[in-house]
Amino acid sequence: MVPTMSGENTVREIGHDEFDPKGTLVLILVYFGVLSVMWVFMYFVEFLGNDLTVLV
Amino acid sequence: MNIHNYEKIWLVLSMLLIIGFISTVVYGATAVGIEMVNDEGGTIDSTALDEDDRFSEPRVEKVGEDEYEAYVVARQFIFEPNPIEVPANSTVTFYVTSPDVLHGFEVVGTNANAMVVPGEITELTVEVNEPKEYGILCNEYCGGGHHTMEGKLIVVPEDEFELGDSNDE
Repeated sequence: MVPTMSGENTVREIGHDEFDPKGTLVLILVYFGVLSVMWVFMYFVEFLGNDLTVLV
Repeated sequence: MNIHNYEKIWLVLSMLLIIGFISTVVYGATAVGIEMVNDEGGTIDSTALDEDDRFSEPRVEKVGEDEYEAYVVARQFIFEPNPIEVPANSTVTFYVTSPDVLHGFEVVGTNANAMVVPGEITELTVEVNEPKEYGILCNEYCGGGHHTMEGKLIVVPEDEFELGDSNDE
């Protein structure tokens, strides 16, 4: 039987605001954290700490 | 328009990330003073480096207190002078040019890295701190001996530093 958007086989129907993909949110927050830390490390430690830097 | 709350969070976070990226780069350019190597060094007749008093005799010169200028010629397949000696805790401006083909000027393991174009003078200023020995290499393929093209930048303790014989200061 082909499942349909709504019909007799629907177990639960939820509205727009009730759909909360918490796992995705956590995943994205973790990714955001990793990205921020990596950016700070790359710029301030690896790049700025890599003397001799071209100045003026 | 109905935007889901999570989507709003993601939008805000990505904006913050972009603002963060831009502000670190702005911080580097203003507070730290990081510069891009550009064409400010000007041009030169690459066939007549001998007639230019800067490059006829590649050398390091003192131009102020703790300020030095290094005139460097990158040619197939050497850097002149070699080694380049500068004193510790000073500001060094390199003027690099080439009489033949395109070369690279990279102080290995550092951010001092530029192209050396015949007819152009590459100008880059760096601050050197503790005494240390750096390698310099050419990172643009310049011919059969490219892989052997290397030099040295030696940062010597201030009290041991002396300018070359060509300088009468």
